[in-house]
Amino acid sequence: MEQNKNTEWTNYNKHTHIIGRVVSVIMLIMLIGAPFLMGHYLGAYPDLRATMNGFFAVGIVWVVSSVAEFLIYTPMLGSGGGYLAFITGNLINMKIPCAVNARDMVDAKTGTPENEIISTISIATSSLVTILVLALGVLLMVPLQPILQNPALQPAFDNVVPALFGAMAYKYYRKNMHIAIFPLIIMSALFIFVPALMGSTSFMIIPSGAIAIGVAYVFHKKKIAADKGGNQ
Amino acid sequence: MTILNQLNSGPMYLICGTIVAFVAVICVIFLIRAYKAGKAIGMDTTKMKRTIISSATFSLLPSVGILLGVIALSGSLGTPLPWLRLSVIGALHYETQIAQAAAEQTGMTTLSASEMTASSFATIALLMSICIMWGMVLSVFLNKKYTNKLSKSGNSSSAGFGDTAMTAMFIGLVSTYIGRYFGGFISENGLFTFNGDVTPIIVIVVSAAAMAIFIRLSQKKSLAWVDSFSIAGSMIAGMAAAAIFGLL
Repeated sequence: MEQNKNTEWTNYNKHTHIIGRVVSVIMLIMLIGAPFLMGHYLGAYPDLRATMNGFFAVGIVWVVSSVAEFLIYTPMLGSGGGYLAFITGNLINMKIPCAVNARDMVDAKTGTPENEIISTISIATSSLVTILVLALGVLLMVPLQPILQNPALQPAFDNVVPALFGAMAYKYYRKNMHIAIFPLIIMSALFIFVPALMGSTSFMIIPSGAIAIGVAYVFHKKKIAADKGGNQ
Repeated sequence: MTILNQLNSGPMYLICGTIVAFVAVICVIFLIRAYKAGKAIGMDTTKMKRTIISSATFSLLPSVGILLGVIALSGSLGTPLPWLRLSVIGALHYETQIAQAAAEQTGMTTLSASEMTASSFATIALLMSICIMWGMVLSVFLNKKYTNKLSKSGNSSSAGFGDTAMTAMFIGLVSTYIGRYFGGFISENGLFTFNGDVTPIIVIVVSAAAMAIFIRLSQKKSLAWVDSFSIAGSMIAGMAAAAIFGLL
């Protein structure tokens, strides 16, 4: 019985990588091909020299950012969740908090099959909701536009990310204040004293995460030492 | 026919809609496979159903925020391309920035429909794709190796720290943004001028307070279901506070 489950799980994982790779490659072809197809319809193809110049001017930064995102977020997302999240995007403002919240809600442990399943379900659901909302929004663009762009509602929609992170902060800080206090103070001080860093907020996640992991590791070691001491 | 009419025409919707539909199918396939695999390995289906409900409610408000991004970009790029970009691979904060930079590379002074030509539109669309596709490229080549390596190290003696490290990384992410909002209020318009935007800080406080109430409620046995809606509910409270503060 247990062996059957293991075989089933190994097969699932193997096929996840095959499907993930195939659909990612198809998506890449579609994404690169679409501008040429649109250009063909509009009667003018992309200017490749301008594209190259633009890539070297602004794109390189995003390559570095993508490498960092891949290394940091893949362990949180798992393999299936990873493929899906990098296809559907909106990682920081939606997919990562969504997957972390789901994982926490069902108490799934990192690296376990349960975590892999929950993360994939969570990201697939989240992506489908976004696709549905955007499709409905585009379909109902004319009647919706005056409501969504009502000046009274603008501050609300300008603050979706703070609203998300405020809720998540309470949820995670309350049990881990001893860890959170360090990156929170250091990041606040950095942004206060070097306001220019505000333009690189997504890059600042890397040192902030490293600080948090470093502090967590110190506490983890201390706890192990204390547990050993208590057992002796 | 103006350029904006062309950008909003049927064939453009067809090209973008086909890609969006393809991504929707991918999501459904991954969702069904994961659900079935979870059942096969003996996972509690209630947990998986809770994950679907909480992820759906969680994503609703940020999705409306993303829709506003589509509306914002549709004035200069038409509706189909922003719809595609923000449904697939894109990110709200990224698209406007790249579109603006791409427009400058094509000789436009700013991203606007009045300066848009067919060639500059196609160039902007290609540059937007090339700039953001690298996470997907890395996934194709490295996801398998990386996740296999992680699951092997997860079975080693350091496994106990894996969960704490992930939680810590997430705390680092949240702390970066909260620090940025403090920095914005205190020093955005000059060191210690305290005249930056205070709204994000108010929103954070209100949505955190709402979350505290939701957590307290969900700890009561009869109200455990509240947990699935706690993030969405807290976000509504925070965003409502922003709207009210904006009216003052």
